[in-house]
Amino acid sequence: MHTASLGRRALLLAASFAFLAYVLAPIAWLVSSSFQSESEITSKPPHWVPHHPTIENFAAIFTAKDRVVTYATRKDGDPATGGFIPSTAKYLLPSMRNSFIVAFAVVVLNLLVSIPAAYAMAKIRFIGRSTSIYFMLATRVIPDIALVVPFFLVIRKLGLLDNLLSLVITYLAITVPFSVFVLLSYFESLPDELDKAARVDGCSRLQTLIRVFLPLAVPSLVAVVLFTFLTSWNEFLLALMFTQTPVSQTMPVIVASFTSDFTISFSFINAAGVLAIIPPVILAIMFERYIVSGLTAGAVKG
Amino acid sequence: MNVQLRAARRSVSYPVSAYDQKTALLLLSPMLAVLAVIAVFPVLYAFWISLFDLKLTRPHRVPFVWFNNYVQVFHDQMFWDSVTRTASFTVMSVTAIMAIALCMALLLNEEFRGRRFLSAVLLIPWAIPSVANALMWKWIYDSGFGALNGLLYQLGFIHKYMIWLGDPDKTLPLIANAFVWKEVPLATILLLVTMKSIPADLYSAAKVDGANLWKRFLHITLPSLKPGFALVMIYEIMMAVRHFDLFFILTEGGPADASHVLAWEVYVETFRNLSFGTGAALAYIMALVTFILAYSVIRAMGQKL
Amino acid sequence: MARIKFESVSKRYPNGFTALDDLNLDIQDKEFLVLLGPSGCGKSTTLNMIAGLEDISDGNLFFDGTVVNAVPPHQRDVAMVFQSYALYPHKSVYENIAFGLRMRKHPKDEIDQRVRDAAKRLEIEHLLERRPTQLSGGQRQRVALGRAMVRQPAVFLMDEPLSNLDAALRISTRAEIKQLHQVMQTTFVYVTHDQSEALTLADRIVVMRDGVVQQIGTPDAIYEQPHNMFVASFLGNPPINYLDGQLAVDNGAVTFRRGALSLLIPPESAGKLAAFAGREVTIGIRAEDVSEHGTPPAGQALGGRITSVLPVGSDNFLEIDVEGKQLFFRVGKEAHHKDGDNTVLTVNVNRLHVFDKQDGQSLIWQKVQA
Repeated sequence: MHTASLGRRALLLAASFAFLAYVLAPIAWLVSSSFQSESEITSKPPHWVPHHPTIENFAAIFTAKDRVVTYATRKDGDPATGGFIPSTAKYLLPSMRNSFIVAFAVVVLNLLVSIPAAYAMAKIRFIGRSTSIYFMLATRVIPDIALVVPFFLVIRKLGLLDNLLSLVITYLAITVPFSVFVLLSYFESLPDELDKAARVDGCSRLQTLIRVFLPLAVPSLVAVVLFTFLTSWNEFLLALMFTQTPVSQTMPVIVASFTSDFTISFSFINAAGVLAIIPPVILAIMFERYIVSGLTAGAVKG
Repeated sequence: MNVQLRAARRSVSYPVSAYDQKTALLLLSPMLAVLAVIAVFPVLYAFWISLFDLKLTRPHRVPFVWFNNYVQVFHDQMFWDSVTRTASFTVMSVTAIMAIALCMALLLNEEFRGRRFLSAVLLIPWAIPSVANALMWKWIYDSGFGALNGLLYQLGFIHKYMIWLGDPDKTLPLIANAFVWKEVPLATILLLVTMKSIPADLYSAAKVDGANLWKRFLHITLPSLKPGFALVMIYEIMMAVRHFDLFFILTEGGPADASHVLAWEVYVETFRNLSFGTGAALAYIMALVTFILAYSVIRAMGQKL
Repeated sequence: MARIKFESVSKRYPNGFTALDDLNLDIQDKEFLVLLGPSGCGKSTTLNMIAGLEDISDGNLFFDGTVVNAVPPHQRDVAMVFQSYALYPHKSVYENIAFGLRMRKHPKDEIDQRVRDAAKRLEIEHLLERRPTQLSGGQRQRVALGRAMVRQPAVFLMDEPLSNLDAALRISTRAEIKQLHQVMQTTFVYVTHDQSEALTLADRIVVMRDGVVQQIGTPDAIYEQPHNMFVASFLGNPPINYLDGQLAVDNGAVTFRRGALSLLIPPESAGKLAAFAGREVTIGIRAEDVSEHGTPPAGQALGGRITSVLPVGSDNFLEIDVEGKQLFFRVGKEAHHKDGDNTVLTVNVNRLHVFDKQDGQSLIWQKVQA
């Protein structure tokens, strides 16, 4: 299918434009809006490209904690003066820090739990092997909603209600099955004879895992880290339920609180949105090739 | 997932060496512990709670009511309406997702310059937090200054700005659109992965047999894609049925319950009505439905290999 | 120092499949033992059991008198070369070879010394810094050999190491392996399905089929005195010719009869066969055990119609229809044959094999109870 016929090229070009337009247009508009002042953003029809680009919205976020938002300050028309920003604005940056802490902890714990389990199920013949695999597959199916009520009650009883720890534990529950799934597929695709060679060479099972299989499983490890990080960073429902105060609220919760504040500044929200999407987008683009190869077992062999 | 099922079915020879058995269980125990406590326990506990009339508004009287909560739920018209809305949302979304993802996957399956760029860009909607997605579309749909209004106005399709999210007839499709936009990348990648596993020899043989691009698509791509397509579709159905974030941020179940879907009903019942008993029952019903859907897919896929 | 003994060892799977059935085998120190048989016969299972990679359902495995059934592979002094070589893709050739020694905590200088010695012997010194993916199949095979060699193990296991090489390389590597065995003075256990490999390399051969040992013996013994039809047909290329018929005994003279064909069994074997008068038997004649010079003496004549002539460079193969059965023989190129000709060959009846038609067991060569 490599014929460089003109018709094919034209078709590909048109399709690519449609593709890019569909994917990028909303984001582009978000970014563009974030660089517009409140007065510009409320023009009809909208300015697709900012006529007077400004970074005052971002500045407002970073200086939010120094502002006192009162009725008086809100009466002014610009975020730069402290009006029109939500009262929870100053919590945005700390909440991103919370999100980061949680995501990091979940990734580390996830790897510690998933890697040995995936190796054992992939390469060791033992009694209970099929049961473990079915069990792991079954837990993938549980929707977050089902965890809400029981978890809330238990966490409340344990006094962990406003604690990042509760999020870390919960997120482990939703990310471990997926990680084990991906790692298991990948380990399975690595030749059994490598495992045998290592064991005959003098490696115990654990050493085989660490010295031979882990270095070879880098694509899937990257995919797992990425998925786990992103899931933790982006998760909203459980964070909403289990956190009460800005002390432990994560980024999605704070951002959501902006949208329910009625005297809202659109330019501010858009700037907040842009900030919120920067880390995940950077991560995703950086590790793009690992995502596909990590998901497809056997696509990449050492 | 087929790899998993094949792995599970490979027979184990007995007796297994004691060393292997011990090591395997040791390696497995963290995962088993985590999943038992965090995945199995909540499901069982949730079921237990659903048998009580637990209202946080009167925490000291918690009568055991057997399956009364479920009965109440099934008698509640709001429940059935939520189910209908969820179904309609799901049908709309999944159809759109599969159609768009298929086209995108076909495009990405071709070799051409810039394909890597497209793949990288594709990941953006998937990577962004759902709350960011929600606020982005909320801004686009804004009745006063939104881009949707602006675009249609500039193109001359409308003569004055309209209400979008606030219009009960338009609410679900608009939310569906936001949901679809975010879900398409993952569906595309999963389909693409399936496409890539179709052996190139099949296409070569077809070319020699005289099949043109369309015929090749019809007789090779589509049939080979069917199991993968079904799998992705079921996954997306599961995602659509349980989706919550957009409904919270965009419309809070409104206007006039136009977007009051099952997930929203669970939230309202649990955290606004503070009736944990019925909330748990609702969540449980939802989880059960999802589980049955998934189980039947796993069985179906299991038969296929 | 490396006597391996299998005592009634079996391997059974829960679905009933038996990979090994009651294996009894005594492997001598320093011998080159070949496990030979078709796929699924249990030879790889046996090899893996020695390494500790397969578990034993029944019976005991002894290393120098100690039971090792439960000893995991990393605690056995065994090295193995795999069919697919199983080199570590992320390590250099040097690291691949050194890995086993590192795991066993040998001192660094010793490791370096041994690796370089092995590399020198195998002529791969110039490849030490490369990765396996940059090597050809033959080179990878050498690295696999090197990795096993440096360990200087008590037992050297090889699982069809030559099957992925092309024909010419196979022959030369075979010779090198034989040499390696002389030099290393270690027990070698070698698995193959290629009978010519077995005949060239082995001190002793174990022929296996469906998990059951068919015969154990030196290459000569197995070739010349097969205990059953399976062994006889598995060794030898082209495969042995089989002909059904009957034994007739007449005043102590035993003849094989099929239609007009009558072959006289020589006196040495006749003694053993005298009791089987009238028995339905199958005789085996190897392709090289005929000649076409001169007229055959009585009782040694094999006549038939030529159905095809296949020249194979040094000789001719004749396909002959004898009493309704197609047989293959190797003859010299001097005589010129045409399809449809009738010809008479002289059978070397001293090398005739006689098997019971029903159970395929040899009526001449019996298994000697060890």
